This record gives sequence, C-alpha cells and structure tokens, in this order.
Amino acid sequence: MTRSRRQSLNAVVFMAPGLLLFAALIVYPVIYTFQASTLKWDGVNAGEWVGLGNFRDLRTDKIFQTSLKNSGLWIVLTFIPQSVIGFLLAWVLNKKIRGRNLYRAIFFVPAILSPIAVALTWQRLLDPFNGVVAQVGRATNIEFLTRSYLGDPKTAIYAAIFVNVWMWTGFSMLFYLAGLQQVETSILEAARIDGANEVQTIWRIVLPLLRGTHVTLLILGVIGSLKTFDLVYALTEGGPNHASELMPTYTFFSAFRRQEVGYGAAISVVLMLVAVIASSLLNWLFDDEARASRIQRRRLKGAS
Amino acid sequence: MSDTTITAAVARPKRRRHTLIHVVLIALSLAWLLPIVMALGFSLMPADAPGTTAYGLLPQHPSLSNYVNIWTDNPITQNLINSVIITVPSVLMVVLFGSMMAFALMRYRFFGKGIVVALMLLTMVLPLASIVVSLFRILLELGLYNSRLGVAAAYSALGLPFAVLVFRNAFDAIPDPVLQAARIDGASEWQTYRRVCLPLIRPAIAVVVVWQSMMSWNDFLLPLVAIEDNDRKPLTLVPMAYRGIFLSQPGALFAILVLISVPMVIVFLAVQRHLVEGLSGAIK
Repeated sequence: MTRSRRQSLNAVVFMAPGLLLFAALIVYPVIYTFQASTLKWDGVNAGEWVGLGNFRDLRTDKIFQTSLKNSGLWIVLTFIPQSVIGFLLAWVLNKKIRGRNLYRAIFFVPAILSPIAVALTWQRLLDPFNGVVAQVGRATNIEFLTRSYLGDPKTAIYAAIFVNVWMWTGFSMLFYLAGLQQVETSILEAARIDGANEVQTIWRIVLPLLRGTHVTLLILGVIGSLKTFDLVYALTEGGPNHASELMPTYTFFSAFRRQEVGYGAAISVVLMLVAVIASSLLNWLFDDEARASRIQRRRLKGAS
Repeated sequence: MSDTTITAAVARPKRRRHTLIHVVLIALSLAWLLPIVMALGFSLMPADAPGTTAYGLLPQHPSLSNYVNIWTDNPITQNLINSVIITVPSVLMVVLFGSMMAFALMRYRFFGKGIVVALMLLTMVLPLASIVVSLFRILLELGLYNSRLGVAAAYSALGLPFAVLVFRNAFDAIPDPVLQAARIDGASEWQTYRRVCLPLIRPAIAVVVVWQSMMSWNDFLLPLVAIEDNDRKPLTLVPMAYRGIFLSQPGALFAILVLISVPMVIVFLAVQRHLVEGLSGAIK
C-alpha cells in the first residue's frame, strides 16, 4: 500500500462516524431548509412551488421587520455591557484578592443555568403584582420599578436584553480572564516602572493586547444573539403582540404555530445567511490585524 | 530597616484599595445572586402556605416539602432520566467523534479535507432555530421523531464543528517529538490517538464537555418540536408541559427549576480549574 493510500484509509476510519452524523443532521437539514423555503407548504399536504415568493412576502412583513430590528438591538445592547462589565470584573478578579474564585463562580453561574430556569425566575422577579422589583418599588414609592416591563410592547425586548446581560456577563468575564493569562506580567511590570497608572495600563496596554479576545467575544456575541430562542420564548413568547420577536422565535411561530412551514423555512434561510455572512465578515475584517497584533505580542515577549 | 518602611509605604494603600474592591464586589455579587436567592427561596415555599416575605423574595414558612412532593405528586423522575438519556450520549458522541475527526485533520492529507474544514467553520455559526423546522421533518423520516436518542444525535451534530475546532487547536499544540516517539515505539494509529494524544488534551476536553452538556441539558427548542410524549420529555419541558399544575404551586415549579440547574453547577465546579486554561487554548 502506498503511503498516501494508507493515509486516506486511516482518514476515512477516523472521519467517518462524525462526518456521517454531520451530513445527516446538519448538511441535509440545511439543504432541506433551502428547498422548503421555495414552497407554500402547511407541512401536511404537498407543497406548492412559489419560487422566491416567500422572500417577497418577508419584505413587507411587519413582524419580520420587528424581528430584524430586535436582533440588531440585541447584538449591540448585549455585547457592550457584557464586555465592559465582564472585562472590569476579570481585571479585578485576576488580582490576588481573597475569595476571587468564589466571586468568579458567582458571576459565571448564571451562564450555565438553563434559559428556562432563568426566564421563569426573572418573570417572577419582574411580575408587576407579586414580583420583588415591583414590591420594592411600591414600598419605596418609586413608580418606575412597578411597571410591567415584560408585558409592555415598548419595553419587553429591553427587559429580555437585560436578563440576557445578567446571564452572560460572567461568560465574557471568563474569556477576559483567559485572555489576561496570556498577557506577560513583565509587560505590566515594565508599565508600572515607567510610571503608568492603572487606567493608563488598561487603556494603552492591556486592552490592545486583548484584541483577540474582543474579536472572539464579538463574534460569539453576534452568533449567540442570532441563536437566542429559549430565553425569549420562555420570557415573552415573542410578545406581547410580537413586539419582542427575534428571527428564531418568528421561525418557530410561523412553522409550528401558524403551520406555514415554507414561510418559516424562508425566515430560517435569512437567519442562516445573516449568521454566516456576519461571522465571515467579522472574521475577515479582524483577521489581518489580529495576526499583526499576535506578531507584535510575540515581539514584545522576545524583547522582554 | 529602610527596606521595611518602603514595603510598608507601598503595601498600605494597596490594602486600602483592596478593601474598596471588596465592598464593591460584595455589593455586586449580592445583586447578581438576587434571582438565584429568590428561586432557591421559592423552591422552599410549601403549596399549603404560599405566603412570602421580604418583598416577595423569600417564603414565609420555608419547608422542604416541594423537594419531596415533586417526586410523588408530579412524577418527574422519568423526566430527569430523559435529560440524562439525551445529554450523556450527546456528550460522549461529540467528544469521541469530534476528537477522532480533529486527529485525522491534524495527521493525514486526504481528498476533500479543505471542504470539510470549510463546511465545519460555516456551520459552526448556524442557529439551531434555523434548521429546527427541517430537523423535525428529517427525524420524522428517519423514524427518530419522539426519540430521545434522535435528539441526542442532533445535539452531537450541532456541537461537532465547535468540538473539532477546539480539539484541532489542542492537537496542534502537541510537540512533534511526542508523536515521533510514539511512532518509534511502534504505536498503531489508534494507540497514538487514544493513548498518546487524548490524554494530552484534557483541558480541551473539559471545555467541550462543559459546552456540550450545557447545550444538551439546557436546551428546550429541539425537544419542544421533536418529542411528543410527556414521559419522554426532558426536564426543561416540564414547566411548560405541566403549566396548569404549577400555576397553583409556584413552590414546586421553582423546586424543579433548581433541580434542572444543579447538575450543570456541579459540572462547572468540577471543571472550573481547567476552564480558564482550556479557554486560553481555545481562543489562541
């Protein structure tokens, strides 16, 4: 047997089980979704081919526009606070302070909880009649705490975003902690000897060195936002009156509640394309510079 | 002597600053823990004495009765078993198949390698919701509708791209001499994979195990569409499946939410030490 033939054989053995699973349950569903998106189909009777008709309908669908806008809001309004608070926590909890493992665990724990548990707990906390927030508001006469944030179409999406920030800030903290492990202490030492204060050190040295972590978190944040279903579904079911709908909840609603499988598939196709294009674009945008900063980091390591 | 004065002068403001940090951290942690305290408190609220205190944060008459009753009044033992039946195979499959694929990608040249890597990178970002409509139909076609293993297989497939990426980075970090030594010792390919390489990527395995078990244990969407029978549903569907009952028994509902959460907290505490290390490998 030639060397390359033997290599191929080994490769087949090692690749086969995973590839089979991947082909049957990822690649095939993707193709299936594209196909279904061209049908007017209730999922029971045979579908009728409508070409791009579903996509044309999407352009004038008010609920779909809301879901797009909400996805955009979700990305921006979760990424910024999660990164800022996450970094500050990581910076502090990277110091040798007492109980830092306990603090880290406290902030990270929400990220590992089931979105269902998180959603139902916050639903109760924010309940305008029995919830803790409203009761504290009534006791202290702060009207603004007694509102029904999840029940009001104007605020529902922001309330859901708030819960998401609570849930995922610890995750950003953990990534920044991992990133900080890779920052050479000698660089920080050098900065201190040169008389840089903490803010200068963070702003001028640490944050630029953590560029890779920022980019990773940005990409994960965008993808995570586009993946969010459970939290919103359990908090508001996309309501009230579709005000907090995201693309995933709207896909589900169309395909399984309204029995418009073809239309749901069309939303799915848009969701897929947005996810793939956005992440590829971000990767491409930041890749060169990330490589440059990596080289720079290596140089700094060599110099010290 | 001058040395000690210098250290003291440097150390004193540092200690004061740490006190301030602790004050801020304690306040923030308490705020952060508020929902968890409320959930734990409510889980202790008995059905026959549902009064609350402390602005609705804690039960008036705490009791452990819910943790007894959820096993008898609302039989959720089966749902707990279902969650295990879904999660464990999905984690095992993704670790085994994912590491095998990553091993092949590191070690061999073969036709279509580039396409596989590209497809994996593209599909890593796919939201489950974007293929759930099709997955439902395909599981139906494959006779895996209403099957816990079908759901587990789908989770493995979804987790595979991320696992392959993490494992591949970890394998790439194994120094060449280690692999050469294995070859000189006459290790077979499987032995090289199983005995030499796998033990060296434990932090990466920890990351994948945590990620995958979180996804499989916590997810709600896939069983919502792919499992019909109440006695095959995982724990995450219990609150919705028995909504009517829980309306009158919020204590039991929160006991179940705590029960859903405990296993993941245990997994996290078990691998916490490896997690930061594994992550810094993953984002390199």
